[in-house]
Amino acid sequence: MGKPKVGIFGITGCGGCQLEILNLEDQLLDLINAVDIVHFTEAITEFSDDYEVALIEGSITTEHDVERIEKIGSIAKIVVAVGSCAVNGGLNCLKNLYGTEKANALVYGDKKEWIDTIDVKPVDAYIQVDHYVRGCPPNRLEIVDVVRSLLVGRNPEIPNYPVCIECKRNGNTCVYELGKTCLGPISRAGCNSRCPNSVSGCEACRGVIDDPNVNAQKDLLAEHGLSVKDIMEQFNLYNACKGKTIEQT
Amino acid sequence: MLYKILDKNHHKEFLSNLVANVKMVGPKKKDDSCHDFTSIKDVDEIDTAYQKTTIPPAKKILFPSTENLVRFRLGETIESEGLLESSETVLFGINAWDIAGMNFLDRFFSTDFADENYIAKRKALTVIGIDTEPTETNFAHYMDSEYVIEGFDLYFTDLGDRFFVRIATAKGNALLDRFAHIKDIEENDLKDFNKYMNVYRKKFKLEINMKNFLDNFENIYDKKGVWEELAEKCYSCGSCNLVCPTCFCFNVKDDINLDLKTGQKMREWDSCMIPEYGLVAGEHNFRPSKENRLKQRYRCKLITYKEKYGKNSCVGCGRCIEACLAKINIAEDINAIKKEVNV
Ligand code: SF4
Ligand code: SF4
Ligand code: SF4
Ligand code: SF4
Ligand code: SF4
Repeated sequence: MGKPKVGIFGITGCGGCQLEILNLEDQLLDLINAVDIVHFTEAITEFSDDYEVALIEGSITTEHDVERIEKIGSIAKIVVAVGSCAVNGGLNCLKNLYGTEKANALVYGDKKEWIDTIDVKPVDAYIQVDHYVRGCPPNRLEIVDVVRSLLVGRNPEIPNYPVCIECKRNGNTCVYELGKTCLGPISRAGCNSRCPNSVSGCEACRGVIDDPNVNAQKDLLAEHGLSVKDIMEQFNLYNACKGKTIEQT
Repeated sequence: MLYKILDKNHHKEFLSNLVANVKMVGPKKKDDSCHDFTSIKDVDEIDTAYQKTTIPPAKKILFPSTENLVRFRLGETIESEGLLESSETVLFGINAWDIAGMNFLDRFFSTDFADENYIAKRKALTVIGIDTEPTETNFAHYMDSEYVIEGFDLYFTDLGDRFFVRIATAKGNALLDRFAHIKDIEENDLKDFNKYMNVYRKKFKLEINMKNFLDNFENIYDKKGVWEELAEKCYSCGSCNLVCPTCFCFNVKDDINLDLKTGQKMREWDSCMIPEYGLVAGEHNFRPSKENRLKQRYRCKLITYKEKYGKNSCVGCGRCIEACLAKINIAEDINAIKKEVNV
């Protein structure tokens, strides 16, 4: 079997996920040896429509995005959504919460007719997604893990346990003890507890675990002085898409 | 056990000699809330007046949170090589209940199945104990762990102007010979030591009723409502397990490198409080709910090893109580189970 052909695409996102792939440094050469990267929006000028695996960054926010994503879906045999925007809409979904029309008018004023903005949706609202690499930005080692799992033919292991597990493996002092708040107890691990490692609370950029104890988390945040509005803002920051928020999971 | 005295004015000299000559791990202030056991380069970094450490010191050294076990290379045949990492280390400043916790792990990792990775590290470890102030959540005295008579090489008890040194091993004795100015004990030293222990034991204020718990646990094991109530706020976050000095569960993973030829088998701390722990083939989960899991944790900590080794695995350090953001409290729950039966 030859090397699988891989396309790396940026739809609407900040480009940070693609940058994480470029930041792989000591593993980048191994990656290029293991697969044939034929398209890379952020890194190479050539285009290609001949690939088996698509790694997709970004969410779908314009009609043009819809066309692109549908084309990718029709070519790729395996689709991997990379990063919060692609996986569940991510930060972009704040636009939906605010109101797409209102947001368009606010940003583009009297030029708003020029813009074809639509409600933000994640990749799997349009095409079938086989694997998800969560996070904003994602853990680059997890991107590698998905690629090599695909190469050896097994399912990548994405944790379904809370960030607290990784946080304790790393020996951190819980940020609650230092007067901060954190969504770690309900958020999905896999980032190696990136935020608590640098003494910041988790904001659930990887989404929540399958069975989060949302009520307990709300009580905890309220005990630490957050108002209902603050709590909802925290819950919605990365998780307002798919028509439901952390509240409704 | 041999007893000696180390005068306070020779104490710093002893520690300085250790720092200069051996690889030493000891307690250091980490932030406003916690201390942490890390490698000590300068004697002034050591802070023995600590109360809270998130991760138990012996567990951190002997059973690290992630550890590579085997390196392999795939080819015509599979080559593999076991990885055993250990280096001579002096662990200074561990307290009695954490030594008791280590004693449990020693037993666990060397009975039934001998865990070479753990044993290699344990053999290379010299343990020097000290007493520390218990936190409010500590109930070590009910778990026979506020005072230990084994597991350490040396144990220093602070008698004000001097340390009462208990020497448990030849290794400990050699360390004193090499690095400390010690002297023989006199009668009043032993008296002062006993007096000190009486006062020290009174510092453990939390009261629990283990007898009632043990008598009644099985009765209410399947009683509806009891466990649902105790576990209602549980996040299934595993913090209580990971910070416990006697939790030994781990998960083993194979990591293949991108060259698709080489890789390693590694282990990482696991937790029986997360749903995946009970997940087996066919998506069947033998502990699907958080109340099942809490009940299992309490059984493991308070009953299983009492039956197996004659001593429960919980040493009463209180870490799980402090780590739990849902305020689930093993000490309160031990007492609550007694009350449940009373009504
Ligand atoms: S800092 Fe956050 S992730 Fe870490 S233990 Fe505390 S709540 Fe959990
Ligand atoms: S700690 Fe939370 S917010 Fe930070 S990277 Fe991990 S999942 Fe995202
Ligand atoms: S008992 Fe507390 S620390 Fe343990 S899993 Fe439940 S919420 Fe987490
Ligand atoms: S169960 Fe809790 S109190 Fe008992 S040894 Fe473990 S962490 Fe300490
Ligand atoms: S079964 Fe649970 S309580 Fe027992 S050692 Fe394992 S993680 Fe700890």
